[in-house]
Amino acid sequence: MSKQSEIEKVRMVEMFDNLRADKYPLKEFNYVGQNGPRRVDGLAKASGQADYTMDIQLPGMLHMRFLDSPYPHAKILKMDTSKAEKLPGVRYILRYDDPELPESENLGHVPVFENDKPLDGVAHFEGQPMGAAVAADTEAIAEEALSLIKIEWEERPFNLDPVAASDPNVPLSFPERYSDGNFWNRGVLDELIHGDVKKGFAGADKVIEFKFTRTGHTWIGPERPCGVWRWNGDCAEVWLKHQRPYVGKARISSWFGGIPMSKIEMHMLYQGASFGGWTHVDWNLGGLYCAAVVSRRTKRPVKYVFTRREDFFGGSLDEAVYFVKVGFKNDGTITAVNATAYHVNCTSPVFSPVLHLHENTRIPHLRGQQKSIWVNKGPMVALRCEQLVPVLVQTMVMDRVAAELGMDPIELALKNDGGEGHDMDWLNEQKKERGFEVRDSLKECIEKGKAEFKWDESWHKPGTRKLPNGRMHGVGFTWTHEWSDSSGTGEIAIRIERSTGTATLLGIRCDNGVDAENSYCRIGADELGMRLEDVHYNPRFDPGFHPNSPDSAGSMSVNGWATRHAARILKQKILESASSPTAPTQRGSYQPAFRNTKPEDLDIKDSVIFVKSDPSRQMSLAEFVRPMATQGPLANTEIQGARQAWSEPLFAYGYHVQLGDYNPNDPRERFCRQAHFMEVEVDTETGEIFITRVVNANDVGKVINRMSCEGQQYGGSVMGMSRGKLEEVIHDPVTGVMLNGNLIDYKVATIKDVCPIGTILVETGMGYGPYGLTGIGEDIATVVPGLLAPAVYNAIGVWIDEFPITPDKVLKALGKI
Amino acid sequence: MKEFKHFNAYSIDEAVSLLGRYGDRACVIAGGTDLLGKMKDVILPTYPEAVINIKTIPDLNYITQSDEMLKIGALTTLAEIAHSEAVRSRCLALAEAACRAASPQIRNMGTIAGNICQDLRCWYYRNQNNRFSCLRKKGGRCYAIKGDNRYHSIFGGSVSGGCMAVHPSDTAPALIALDAKIKTSSRMIDAQDFFEVKPVKTTVLKTDEIVTEIQVPAPPAGTSSTFLKFALRKSIDFPIVNCAAMITVKDGKVAGARICLNAVHVVPYRAARAEKVIIGKSLNEAVAEEAGQAAVAEAKPLEHNKYMVAVARTLVKRAILACTG
Amino acid sequence: MTKESKKYVCPYCGEGFDTAEGLKEHVFKMHKGCGLPVPEGGIRLTINKSEYELKVEPNWTLYYLIHDVLGLTGSKQFCDRGACGSCTMIVDGKPVLSCMMLAIECDRKTVETVEGIAAEGHPLIGAYVKHHAMQCGYCTPGFVVTSKALLDRNPDPTEEEIIEALAGNICRCGTYPQHVIAVKETAAKLQVEKAAGKGEK
Repeated sequence: MSKQSEIEKVRMVEMFDNLRADKYPLKEFNYVGQNGPRRVDGLAKASGQADYTMDIQLPGMLHMRFLDSPYPHAKILKMDTSKAEKLPGVRYILRYDDPELPESENLGHVPVFENDKPLDGVAHFEGQPMGAAVAADTEAIAEEALSLIKIEWEERPFNLDPVAASDPNVPLSFPERYSDGNFWNRGVLDELIHGDVKKGFAGADKVIEFKFTRTGHTWIGPERPCGVWRWNGDCAEVWLKHQRPYVGKARISSWFGGIPMSKIEMHMLYQGASFGGWTHVDWNLGGLYCAAVVSRRTKRPVKYVFTRREDFFGGSLDEAVYFVKVGFKNDGTITAVNATAYHVNCTSPVFSPVLHLHENTRIPHLRGQQKSIWVNKGPMVALRCEQLVPVLVQTMVMDRVAAELGMDPIELALKNDGGEGHDMDWLNEQKKERGFEVRDSLKECIEKGKAEFKWDESWHKPGTRKLPNGRMHGVGFTWTHEWSDSSGTGEIAIRIERSTGTATLLGIRCDNGVDAENSYCRIGADELGMRLEDVHYNPRFDPGFHPNSPDSAGSMSVNGWATRHAARILKQKILESASSPTAPTQRGSYQPAFRNTKPEDLDIKDSVIFVKSDPSRQMSLAEFVRPMATQGPLANTEIQGARQAWSEPLFAYGYHVQLGDYNPNDPRERFCRQAHFMEVEVDTETGEIFITRVVNANDVGKVINRMSCEGQQYGGSVMGMSRGKLEEVIHDPVTGVMLNGNLIDYKVATIKDVCPIGTILVETGMGYGPYGLTGIGEDIATVVPGLLAPAVYNAIGVWIDEFPITPDKVLKALGKI
Repeated sequence: MKEFKHFNAYSIDEAVSLLGRYGDRACVIAGGTDLLGKMKDVILPTYPEAVINIKTIPDLNYITQSDEMLKIGALTTLAEIAHSEAVRSRCLALAEAACRAASPQIRNMGTIAGNICQDLRCWYYRNQNNRFSCLRKKGGRCYAIKGDNRYHSIFGGSVSGGCMAVHPSDTAPALIALDAKIKTSSRMIDAQDFFEVKPVKTTVLKTDEIVTEIQVPAPPAGTSSTFLKFALRKSIDFPIVNCAAMITVKDGKVAGARICLNAVHVVPYRAARAEKVIIGKSLNEAVAEEAGQAAVAEAKPLEHNKYMVAVARTLVKRAILACTG
Repeated sequence: MTKESKKYVCPYCGEGFDTAEGLKEHVFKMHKGCGLPVPEGGIRLTINKSEYELKVEPNWTLYYLIHDVLGLTGSKQFCDRGACGSCTMIVDGKPVLSCMMLAIECDRKTVETVEGIAAEGHPLIGAYVKHHAMQCGYCTPGFVVTSKALLDRNPDPTEEEIIEALAGNICRCGTYPQHVIAVKETAAKLQVEKAAGKGEK
């Protein structure tokens, strides 16, 4: 290995410590930061060619459907499947009490939480798939068979409200798992304490207290959870609709006494959305497990599908009741915040309600408490995303204090900006210390956002601006840091294809639609010196490398680094291979393509290797690697005594460990910010809210794929508006049955329900990834919902403390009902 | 869906005959956008044995106008009605109602007769696999009374037994406001008298009777009509409250008024009190406001739907004011 | 119950008769003007300009026939209840929801799916790719089909008209703004092509 490679290796190790600014960024970019079409997946998706797991049909395939519990808490005492089994076309009915089904299996995604039972005999929420799985020739037959199963149920008492269920005297919601009471906090960030809130309140000029609630909302991924399993001998061929291929494969390999990884052929097709949600539900893989068992017994491939109604589980972690107390000075500096949240059914780590206040501000005293209560609803998970909780609290705290003081919330934000209880001077010191250019990210986001939104002309005292159309006008503002929150690792490899000299990125990944593959290609192209059209990525192919996936807000940092490492190492290899003799054997070696050169004399541009001092000496990569001979790459090395040219395999891998964000041991300060503006009109006679404008300003550090970033801004705004105004899962209080498990009664915004959305990208370079980038995928959908509350407050002068903010709540706040 | 027999009816007589033969074991299918949802969710204790397609009956899709009347064939789609110049110019309320119903695709499929014959949307009634055996399924009670009734009736339960569901049609109140008549295979019925909610049924149609035509009389001079819809979303949603009004003004004063609310009661609700308030008066904000109050004077909201009273009141007021323009 | 134990059964409606005369009289009275009866469940369908003769079950939706049976998997199933537009196909020139239509009722209809639109090289596809009018892609075929139907009947739509036409298509990823841009650009392109075509004449 040449000295240069060693340097590259050293650089890689240095970059593992991504607490610091990028020491070796590229100086020029051809593709990073540019616009371009959806070159990886666009045509397939627009033309209907993109295939999804839901579309899979295999010869002899059986369709599997699950029994759903009609009760929120009930045990099966007796189950008679005899009539169902006789229905023509039914091939197998797997029962919950089947001896092969384990009590507990490795199905989940977060190790700290309990393993789950594939096909339980006890239901803990209405509609829970459990009891029986029917495999039949068609889905319609499977469905009909389910209605023929006779069950004797033992109904048990149930709970729906977390505060009520936290009372130790009420019945248990899930005695099998939580036998000591419904309050269960393992794996949930119990308490975040910074400073001493008592002291903070004592030193405040004013203290306010308020409570607010967020009812449950869910992901509504267009493609329902599904999967296909086919045994090929003892090899498992699996079509997996899952956000994290590695987790899926690792779990599968632990089943049935252990399946070697090399005997799992995993297909990750296009996925109809993946916002966390269902993927994170422990039981997502439970369906696959049942399919595997039935597939083995019937010797046929089995496809399981959840109905749209069954998909309504995997709701969001921010379903909670929040109690907040804030102390502040008259000049707007906040002195203390104490927040307690009663969460429902956490199955993923929930971040403290004061986490963002801790990360973003100079507030010296904070205390955040989580209480996770189990009630008889489905599991709650990180659903674009777990930051919903601290973001909502930050918005409510900041905007309520601003309202109390009659202060412009932007002014208040700038006053409180900082980090971990320290002010901006301290934060700027950290930026310097870590090698970043000192930029005031929040200020930059605000300035750009204000200008586009015309904030200064729009903001006014609450409840004072009536429009000519009779509605009340209001504007709202919120902010937080631009997070990139995967404390994880990613690995990726790049190969130069022999026959074409093009680069293929190798790493199986969930394609959740953010066009990240294109972004990695851009990094690869710029780092390698290749044309973008010569760099490709098929995330469906499983080469055994697993990029961080997908956590769009986090993956870009991790996978960006991994891609860059791989590309730099590969480039070095190419230049070495081009300048060194190759294939030393007893009979000598081959002459290099570029004789009498050293690697440092060469470079690559537009997919062409050339001598820097004499660019006329050049060879395209395609020429360099040579077409494959008919018998393979190493054949025909000698024809009639003359040596044929060939090149060694050109391949490199890179990996990266993401420290410096949600690693509790050594967190890095959050430097990049985001600012959001919303305008509303409120019809005070009907309570209807019209969102008329939204502007987002996100500091992504460095834009890689401009249109992809913007897509997250307007896409996230649409989801945010929908969540804030329209979405909630509704249960019947008397029977615990879900009432709106369909797309008519659960309301997702249509194109007519959204407004013009501004998308501003700021680039301060202070992120976690290469070139100072940070993620964006989660950052808008999570922040925009809460923004509705201050906007409505500004319109009508009354706070509404329940999300979603529906017309009945507006009328109630106005005293009209 | 489960299995069923399927028949194409090629004439009104054939449809009537098939329906006569099967009785309540068969369902009529026109656009299918309501029926197929019910069948997929298996909401009822019994499943139709036969589905009778009436789209194959010729000559039921038309809009013709004469001096006296607008005639609309039963199978005319909502989209055709929404875009019809004839309908827009003479009975705007109906065009607007058709235009605001559902979504563009459904409006291409759904028929006017289907829209007024559609079943109720109460989420207890519609829960899958007949989860709630309610009054309309000949069960014991109405689950909305003690349950989540945010979208349910503000004028009390239905005549037969206390069902709190609401009628979801957008075109129904428009037809009533426009004083339309419904022609069936055996008789003529005033739109106002067409709706009646009993177990399984939502209209007065007999088992072997189908709608063949809607007739809207030509409005007298000085008449305008309007339709307003309140829903959480601007598309796809059924109404939470809607309101249609047809008002005739002579010499600056209201000579005739027909105002109909829907989605507030189990059948469309004629706001007769509101009409009384404005007859003989010049229309202004205050009068319209008073009429709105009168329209909801008899409201008996449930625990979660008080806001619907405020919305209904407002829609009546605004519909009246829209007719003065 | 249809095929009552009678000897002569009407092939159109299944009513039974004791005599051939009775059946003949019934057919002429009730089914005059209908074409020859087709075998039960038999339909003829033109899909993307290809003719098909198919035997379908009464409980098959048009979506199921085209997606599952014929393997044209471009159209997608998001809600299966007529509330999302992902299964949209153009039937006899109109965009409709295939999951809420019975296949058996589509005899002699013309169907266009996203595959057909792509196969004929419609510029909408390129515009969608250019403007990132997709993210996860699951709703995209439904939007493409609905947009194409719009341009067929209204070649120069305003922004408002585009929004109205797409109001029945749900996108969870929130790509709505891009569809308006892509459709407008396609409309402009088609207008230019049309004018060029006219010019040549």
